[in-house]
Amino acid sequence: MSRSLWRQASSEAKLLLIGIPVAIWTLLPIYHLVLFALSPRGQAVTGKLWPDHPTLDNFAVVFHQEHHYLLHFWKQLWNSVLIAVAAGAITLCIATAAAFAISRLRVRGGRTIMNLALFTYFIPAAFLAVPMYKTMGNYGLLNSQWALILAMVTIATPYAIWVLKQASDKLPLELDEAARIDGATPLQLFRLVYLPLMLPSMVAVGTYALLLAWNEYLYAFLLLSDDRSTTLGVALGSFLSADDSPWELLMATGLLYALPPAAIYYAFKRYMVSGLTAGAVKS
Amino acid sequence: MAAVSFREVEKSFGATKVIHGIGFDIADGEFTVLVGPSGCGKSTLLRMLAGLEEISGGTIAIDGHVVNDIESKDRDIAMVFQSYALYPHMTVADNMGFSLRLRKADPALTKERVGHAAKILNLVPYLARYPRELSGGQRQRVAMGRAIVRDPKVFLFDEPLSNLDAKLRVAMRAEIKALHQRLKTTTVYVTHDQVEAMTMADRIVVMQDGRIEQIGTPLELYDHPANLFVAQFIGSPAMNVVTGTIRRTADDAWVDADGGGRWPLGSSASGSDGTRVAYGVRPSDLGVAAGARSIPAEVIVVEPTGAETELLVRVGTNEIVVVVHGRPNAEPGATVPLTVDPNAIHLFDPTSGQTLS
Repeated sequence: MSRSLWRQASSEAKLLLIGIPVAIWTLLPIYHLVLFALSPRGQAVTGKLWPDHPTLDNFAVVFHQEHHYLLHFWKQLWNSVLIAVAAGAITLCIATAAAFAISRLRVRGGRTIMNLALFTYFIPAAFLAVPMYKTMGNYGLLNSQWALILAMVTIATPYAIWVLKQASDKLPLELDEAARIDGATPLQLFRLVYLPLMLPSMVAVGTYALLLAWNEYLYAFLLLSDDRSTTLGVALGSFLSADDSPWELLMATGLLYALPPAAIYYAFKRYMVSGLTAGAVKS
Repeated sequence: MAAVSFREVEKSFGATKVIHGIGFDIADGEFTVLVGPSGCGKSTLLRMLAGLEEISGGTIAIDGHVVNDIESKDRDIAMVFQSYALYPHMTVADNMGFSLRLRKADPALTKERVGHAAKILNLVPYLARYPRELSGGQRQRVAMGRAIVRDPKVFLFDEPLSNLDAKLRVAMRAEIKALHQRLKTTTVYVTHDQVEAMTMADRIVVMQDGRIEQIGTPLELYDHPANLFVAQFIGSPAMNVVTGTIRRTADDAWVDADGGGRWPLGSSASGSDGTRVAYGVRPSDLGVAAGARSIPAEVIVVEPTGAETELLVRVGTNEIVVVVHGRPNAEPGATVPLTVDPNAIHLFDPTSGQTLS
């Protein structure tokens, strides 16, 4: 009894030994984010663990765009939303259709496409930044939000196809056959049987693509140079271009920028875990 | 309702031929069972009829129309799958009405047809439930309901009872048969279980290795098997077969089994003295009683099942199964006299396996 208790305690101690540093490592930046955002100007760096007079003034400055770094805050936030939602939606459309065609309709060359999709992950996205810049320039899309949307779709789609293909392989083939005998055309099969059953995986993949685009910095920085067309992520980076950066405004804006992904993640948490691991193990 | 005909039907997967020129007819309203060991091609044949597999050669016709190039949905068939293949996101009513919905049928008509099928299958209380909320037998009935609502020319069943437990299987067997007697729709039913085939079929098609071994009514196959394969496949427990040589004297005829044992022949048995034969006798045509032509056998295992007792005995080196009514006084290790009904035995050519007449 005591032996097993000891073993249990020691294994929990090991977990704690790993867990506590990881928790500190993760929470410390968030703590700083909140600390700076709530501190009056100049007070955050005084070494106190919590400001004497926490204030929401920084948020008011951000919301009223009362600083020259924040002149386009609402426009840039809207750009981020637009680009993330568009990239998520387009990725989802392409990946779902591709997964359906490859996994259910068994189109010729499906295997090759899957292998190519996997192959794209041998090339880091950063390597493609310059070619992508050149390509978007050729199409005349530089400084247009379409450039970033298309780039994000390009990067997210292979993984999305891979995950959705694996997930749709798990649906029994008899369902398609039953629907075919019941009189369904491929499009009806897609709409009435396939989509409803794939919904959990699609939520997960759509969220993945959306967050990928929301968090993107490098491509957004390269492809969108005008203050009015760029995303909030890039705008945050530009705070650091001056020597006397307004840290408390940077952190307040950063905190606002971090809220939507957190909210989305919590809303779709149960789909994320089951959806993204669905393809992980072939059962 | 419609007749179905297969003409020289072939199927290849790449270079592998799995169906070798099969031809037979199914009459309008007939309940036909395709039976055979796994891998014999029975499911493939059914799927070709359903339009789920392409036909590599020959023709399949439903109601006189060749359907080789007609899509599944236009063949006017309904299929019940082994896994039921119910749409998990639809209620029972939606599952059953799905085919009519695809045909853009009047919702009132759909509701009426679904209600009618649900009444036949005792599914009325479950119409608003989802498949995951049903038991195996209920799911099975929903799958059948989906087929009934279609009112198709032909019902196809692909091993529909394999996923059910033994008791439910027997109950559903009777239900499917009663349903057929009520609707009189031409039915093609695939199973590997010869008991299902025997109990349900108007006619059985026995298949092996992509070929038909024999077609006939259940009792024709049981009483007059065309060859050793059918003889041993149909009937449970399987027919006992020993190989040996025919011996004839002026007033007696028997088979000297290779492993030992003198197996009596009836007066009508053909074959001259010295002919090599496979001698088959069903376990129920053997008895334990002393007689002039009885064979001494050593009891190995006694399996009482209540009304009947199954004995595994050894005659020479051959192991023989005997089914006797009642509870014979036999102990493992004892020697009992085995009697054979000489007019119930079957003789086969030992090399080709064909029945000798």
